[in-house]
Amino acid sequence: MKKLLLSIFFICMVFLAFGQSQEEKITGVFAQMNFERFASALEKQTSYQFYFRQKDVKDLKVNLQVTEASLPNILNEVFTDTDLKYTIDSNKGVWISLNSRMQMNFSSDFFEIKERSENENRGTDSVDRFARNKLYTIGKQGDNPGSSTATISGIVRSIENGEPMVGAIVLEKVDFNQIVTGPDGYYELTLPKGRHTLVVQNIGGFQEQRQINLLGDGKLDMLIAETVLSLDEVVVSSGALSNIQKLDMGVQSISIDEVKRLPAVLGEVDLVRGILTMPGVNTVGEASVGFNVRGGAADQNLILYNKSTVFNPSHVFGFFSAFNADLTSGVELYKGSVPVNYGGRLSSVLQIDADFGSDEKFSGSGGIGLLTGRLSLEGPLTEKTTFKIGGRATYSDWVLNLLEDETDLNGSDVSFYDLNANIRHQIDEKNILEFTSYLSQDDFSFDPDTTFNYRNVNVAGTWRHFFNDQLEADFTLGYDSYDFGIIGIENPLNSFNFTFEVEQLHLRSDFQYRKNENHLFKFGLHAIQYDLDPGTNQPFGPESIVLEQDLERERAREISVYFGDEFTISEQLSVSYGGRYMFYQMYGPQTINQYVPGAPLTESNVIGEETFETGETIQTYHGPEFRVSARYILGNESSIKAGFNTMRQNLHLLTNTSAIAPTDSWKLSDSFIKPQTGGQASIGYYRNLARGQIEFSTEVYYRYMRNLLDFRSGATLILNENIEQDVLNSDGRAYGIEFLLKKNVGDLTGSLAYTYSRSFLRTSDDPSVEKINDGEFYPSNFDQPHNVVLALNYELSKRINTTLNTNYSTGRPVTLPISKFEYAGSERVFFSDRNAYRIPDFFRIDFSVNLEGNHKVDKIAHASWSFGVYNLLGRSNPYSVYFTPVEGQIRGFQLSIFARPIPFITYNFRF
Amino acid sequence: MKNRIHIFLILIFLVLSCREPFEPVIEPTDQNVLVVEGYLDSDGTPSILSLSFTTDLQSNFQPSSSLIGASVFLEASNGGQFSLIDQGNGDYLFETDIPENDTYRLRIFLTNGNSYTSEDLNPIITPDIIDVGYVRNETGVEIFLTTQGDENADDFLWTYEETWAFRPAIESQFKYDPDIFDVVLRGPDERIDLCYRSFPNSDLILETSSRFEDQFVFRQSIAQIEDGDEKLSERYSILISQKALSKEDSEFWEILKKNTDDLGSIFSPLPSLIGGNITLDQNPDVPVIGQVSLGKVRQRRLFIDNQEITPWLMPEVPEYEGCVISADTVFIASYDAVFRSGVNIPVRPVIPEGGFNPVGYRSAPVNCVDCTRRGTNVAPDFWEDDQP
Repeated sequence: MKKLLLSIFFICMVFLAFGQSQEEKITGVFAQMNFERFASALEKQTSYQFYFRQKDVKDLKVNLQVTEASLPNILNEVFTDTDLKYTIDSNKGVWISLNSRMQMNFSSDFFEIKERSENENRGTDSVDRFARNKLYTIGKQGDNPGSSTATISGIVRSIENGEPMVGAIVLEKVDFNQIVTGPDGYYELTLPKGRHTLVVQNIGGFQEQRQINLLGDGKLDMLIAETVLSLDEVVVSSGALSNIQKLDMGVQSISIDEVKRLPAVLGEVDLVRGILTMPGVNTVGEASVGFNVRGGAADQNLILYNKSTVFNPSHVFGFFSAFNADLTSGVELYKGSVPVNYGGRLSSVLQIDADFGSDEKFSGSGGIGLLTGRLSLEGPLTEKTTFKIGGRATYSDWVLNLLEDETDLNGSDVSFYDLNANIRHQIDEKNILEFTSYLSQDDFSFDPDTTFNYRNVNVAGTWRHFFNDQLEADFTLGYDSYDFGIIGIENPLNSFNFTFEVEQLHLRSDFQYRKNENHLFKFGLHAIQYDLDPGTNQPFGPESIVLEQDLERERAREISVYFGDEFTISEQLSVSYGGRYMFYQMYGPQTINQYVPGAPLTESNVIGEETFETGETIQTYHGPEFRVSARYILGNESSIKAGFNTMRQNLHLLTNTSAIAPTDSWKLSDSFIKPQTGGQASIGYYRNLARGQIEFSTEVYYRYMRNLLDFRSGATLILNENIEQDVLNSDGRAYGIEFLLKKNVGDLTGSLAYTYSRSFLRTSDDPSVEKINDGEFYPSNFDQPHNVVLALNYELSKRINTTLNTNYSTGRPVTLPISKFEYAGSERVFFSDRNAYRIPDFFRIDFSVNLEGNHKVDKIAHASWSFGVYNLLGRSNPYSVYFTPVEGQIRGFQLSIFARPIPFITYNFRF
Repeated sequence: MKNRIHIFLILIFLVLSCREPFEPVIEPTDQNVLVVEGYLDSDGTPSILSLSFTTDLQSNFQPSSSLIGASVFLEASNGGQFSLIDQGNGDYLFETDIPENDTYRLRIFLTNGNSYTSEDLNPIITPDIIDVGYVRNETGVEIFLTTQGDENADDFLWTYEETWAFRPAIESQFKYDPDIFDVVLRGPDERIDLCYRSFPNSDLILETSSRFEDQFVFRQSIAQIEDGDEKLSERYSILISQKALSKEDSEFWEILKKNTDDLGSIFSPLPSLIGGNITLDQNPDVPVIGQVSLGKVRQRRLFIDNQEITPWLMPEVPEYEGCVISADTVFIASYDAVFRSGVNIPVRPVIPEGGFNPVGYRSAPVNCVDCTRRGTNVAPDFWEDDQP
């Protein structure tokens, strides 16, 4: 026994020497025990030895059920509301004392420990306090005496499962030298020799620190906590250190965990609904595809699943998000300063990170809701390969059928599914391969005669190579496509099959080069080849006499090169600057109209046709994009940031309805439709309040946009061979101010966001047949000045948490029929100016409860329940207004989609 | 296909949605917009310019007093004026032969002090209608028109007015004469078994002739009469007006047509503001509706007799549903009680075997017998009966 103890002691010492302590986990039920019995029970189960005075603990009763918990966690829990303190020494001696921690003289360095600040949340400490205060000596005295700096490197791992922590920040506390850990948890910092405090921050908000004495190059691996009790797989996104210190502005991230807790329609976890809780993001209606960021149209958002562009991010045209939350690891929305390595859309980038699975054990999770069932599996395939696959599908129309009895729905049918498969393979220390794939398919009909279908397909492979400590690169090759079809069989003679398709093949290389501690260079090249079928209408069935109509395919290539630098000038001031140059070329085969120069593009101004051979260039556009931003820290608690960027976009969504309709298709820039361009300037102020528990931020922005598409009266968007004749070139401008208050710690967490924003359009000065509202600025379809979102989460216990989501926004603008008149023998309607009126304001409260099952280790599966109510107040929020004659009079009606409280329940499991 | 999308949307919203009345508060300045309508004939044929105001969506049309007694005239480029004559109700008559190679402006001076001026108008001489005809097709009868555009007249607008003769469900030659307490034969002016209905159609048919070779618009579809329509149950007439339009006129009519067809349903395209070529002199930003044109209207009338298109399904007229002749005979003694109110009409005499004079009549409800309830029994002036 003594031998064993000794060897444990030895092993511990060895581990401690490398700064990594292998913690013992404790499992068991301790009911109504006095502390003495509790301590002896722990001594039996572990190698810890307890030292305490009986009178100190005589009133203490222990009531605890723990599964795989670490000792500090347990003691924190047991000593809550007492004056007892504990210290764990390197021999696994646990010293318990009253009021003040026992000071122990076991290391000569120990007395140099800085006092830990008292505001650290004891409840979240899951790591041995000892590790924090111990002074780690890195390297040897006299190493490389010619250099005043040394490099410390190592791997940051999760304390719960030992997996490398991606995206954790390792920061040196005085000069704020920092680095984000790579996919393998690896970090490396070059610092002046001497004493430093290293802070490791995981995005979930938990901080660890290590005292080091850097004498030469060396390694320090660190364990940090992901969550307190690991009730859920919390993987949070954002490479941001904090509200104040991060350089980017206008970046919002949301963890999948947060999204999962939000109440959702029919219980379908919805990423898009999650980002709608952020300031500056809104939507024209509850069931509409897409979202609007800072006054931009829905097609101006680049939606990336890892490196793949997803064209339609929803199921059933907007009712549900098309992403399976189980297969994503985080969501990040760039609405202000878009990093230089993204481009191609005007408003924002929504980066959805793929999950590649755990390298530790084979596991799975799934769930069943009212509409869909889902299942995902993950785990290591080999030592170096991990995977995660998952799918979600509707299993029955029973909800619809239930409603069918109440309405006159016959033959309604909704089915959709989505599949993801992701694999990561670590070839060696310097090479990683990643493969992601995504497929979503929708088929639905609400009457037996018309079937709608659409599909997203995305595959991408990435090779990540670490050239050396400074330089790394990603090389990605991928394919994205989106197609939709409508089959109408109402009348056999007119049965048709309409299809649309857009495909892109993309190749990208992204380099990151870190030059000493002050520069992080990003540069690379993106190439996209577009191939788009604007529409084909074919007869369907043998009897159909529909004439086949096939619009000419559009082809183009887009090549962008970029370069950017994140330059840390001083402790206070950092700047990020860079640019992209986009080169776009549309090429044949195609036949295009020629128009009278300088005249509006109308049918009567067509003077000829020009035919281009295969591969022949039809039109070239090229231009730069600029990205500049800067951060200046004011003291410890606040900072200001400012930024300016410009963007270009070559793919346009053709839509002339306020909500995106099932038939909206995409269009490439051509000889007549120029690339959309725009710029945004923003400035923001960030402050931490209540000792960092509350984050406050405010940002003001102004945007301008050129070459937006609006459409003349009576425009036909489907199967229109001369779409340029129906397009009105428009300018846009938007401005706004956003406020965000966020509380991340404690039982009550949540955020309050308020946005005041405006968005306007104006028919440009180009010659055109029509000037909407006489060429004046008019509110865009999504100009909703006031928007308030309050999302609150209250943790009643470790197993029950409740979420309340409150949403208010000004009604969106509409064009109303306002009076009538007789003309040409009939009653006609006179409409107001474009978007001169608004639909009533929107207000909704949702509520949900998440129940976790217990976490006994021997249980085969862990289960949880989510249930709640969407639209708790049952308020009829208008989605749309329309007018129709009733008994000879034109009457207005407002339509609400979810006009009553919609309850939901979902069962989730993990194994 | 668009309709299908509408169906889909309506259905999708039925699933969870709810519909409630929506009554927005409309700013008063948006109402009472002057509406000017007229295609003035440049060679002296009488034509009407009508003035009105837009009204509240829920109200009925009320002629506004300020539209009566206005001074309306065409102003030639040399300043010469050609007045329009007030006809009351906001209608103004124009019947002056004006030089067609000049440029004109329409001036309107309302009694409330507002004055309006049109943009420059150039008379457009509409080419003649080459042919009007019809063709029997699978679902009924299609009426078509052929014309040819020229360098001045490229865009065309066709409107039409339909008139048709029809018979009631049950024909009767008789009436009850309360003065003599007996049933007598109807006189020629009192016929109720053949009537005429007339309706202007609100369809706006627009076409651009330059889309076709030599600007030859061949068999442009004007109207389709579905099988079993009462319009062709006896004899039918259509008067088609052809107007050549300028490019701006054509766009105005396109918007008007579009805004009428799509009344702001959920996914319908955003409507467009309709304007025209008239502006208020005192404030050019005030909206005025109306695209006034100068030119020559061409018209053609076409008759189609039921015999030309037989077999034609018996029309199903809702008003005549359930119409039968009563099985019971109304005897002379009951005439006054049954027929005086006019609710029932004697339709078939009951003549005993071997007798000559009716002993009574079988009757039918008046709405099944009297066609004047749905039309007029006076043939319109233009009416031509089939030449035997």
